[in-house]
Amino acid sequence: MIVQLLFALGLTLLSSGFTVSTATAQLASADSMAEPTSDPLEGVNQPVFQFNLKVDEYVLHPIATGYNAIMPDAAQRGVNRFFRNLAVVERFANNLFQGEFVDAGQEVGRFLVNTTLGGVGFVDVADPLLGWKENHEDFGQTLGVYGVGTGPYLVIPFYGPSTVRDTVGMVADGAMNPMSYFLSTIQILAVRAGTTTTRVINYRSMNLTLFEDADRYAVDLYGATQDVYLQRRAKQIEE
Amino acid sequence: MTSLRAAFWSIVGMSVLVFSVPAWASNDSPTDLLRGAINRARAVLENPTHQGKEHYQQRIAKVKETLISLFDSEEIAKRTLGIYWKDRTEAERKEFVQIFTALVEKTYANSLDRYRKDFEVLFDQERIEGDFAEVDSRIVDPVLQKTFSLNYHLHRLKDKWLVYDVVIENVSLVRNYRNQFHRILGKKSYADLVASIRTKIQQLDTAPQTGTGL
Repeated sequence: MIVQLLFALGLTLLSSGFTVSTATAQLASADSMAEPTSDPLEGVNQPVFQFNLKVDEYVLHPIATGYNAIMPDAAQRGVNRFFRNLAVVERFANNLFQGEFVDAGQEVGRFLVNTTLGGVGFVDVADPLLGWKENHEDFGQTLGVYGVGTGPYLVIPFYGPSTVRDTVGMVADGAMNPMSYFLSTIQILAVRAGTTTTRVINYRSMNLTLFEDADRYAVDLYGATQDVYLQRRAKQIEE
Repeated sequence: MTSLRAAFWSIVGMSVLVFSVPAWASNDSPTDLLRGAINRARAVLENPTHQGKEHYQQRIAKVKETLISLFDSEEIAKRTLGIYWKDRTEAERKEFVQIFTALVEKTYANSLDRYRKDFEVLFDQERIEGDFAEVDSRIVDPVLQKTFSLNYHLHRLKDKWLVYDVVIENVSLVRNYRNQFHRILGKKSYADLVASIRTKIQQLDTAPQTGTGL
């Protein structure tokens, strides 16, 4: 078994184009003494964070558990892809805003292919068939690319971690939703509530142990969650 | 789909289980060191004689023994305390390294049992600059068709390469712990932080171990 494993790993290492090089890039050797994350809105964020945890514990998690029990894994992934497919305008526009013209074009191509051949987006056929991967960009990232600072960390009720900049970006992305052009405000709110609820429950059902794992690992859950969000956002914008 | 999360956490566990114990001297490159230790840890986890709940402690102990030489526990603990490290006495530093190491071990030991033998471990690139190195790797879950990035940060200490941080899916574990600890130290005393860590360790000690092996 060990020989087989080594053999398999050897092959995968070769096929992955494994290289060893001495780099000129600055290695992050001294970042460890950085100052703590600034959180001027913590007085508001903490209660909202606790509220969100309770909403999750008493509402979202039980519903998602039931949903998970009746919904096959493949169907959950399909529903997730369906909602991601619908967010094409947001990704297309933000790729364009950031000068990623090829990626923007691929987003349109992905939408057309997945909506037609992929059963209105439940199946991602564009990636395996054409190599067109989803290029997630949102308006918060676009603002970041143009040098707009993150602003303070912000926890949004029912939503979770964000920053002031990303919250502004989220509103802008919402305005790009095609529904905005065809429906009245009341209709939009009703439709959004329905789709958001379904999307969130589906996502939560795919990550049932999310908070349990985080809570297991964290000495300070608020600080751990905040840092995961900020580190990942910083990397997304950098890329 | 809970298996996706399970896969992630098992990879986390695999990567950072042991931040303890001294290192061996070697002329191997950082990648060679990591690859060798990870392969040995995988072999332990896949060994039929280590399967089942009844062999949990034995399995975890064996993996620890395999990975122990990779990590610089003092450096990791020091970096999680950051600016607060210099204010600590020698005795406090020693105690902190010991309890932080215990915290990490207990946090991730159970996660190890979510490991699956069909995970692929790929090493992509190694960068060396003076006494610092970074090794980029990926874990591929062929069932979920998901790839997790896993980057190791190492430094050379007396001709030994030792890991001082692990960055999983763009999240540095050292930075994450540091943010938690700094938040606590910003409002409370160092003794309170130690108490919080000890409480967490106790909670983990009493938490049920769910893993049964492969």
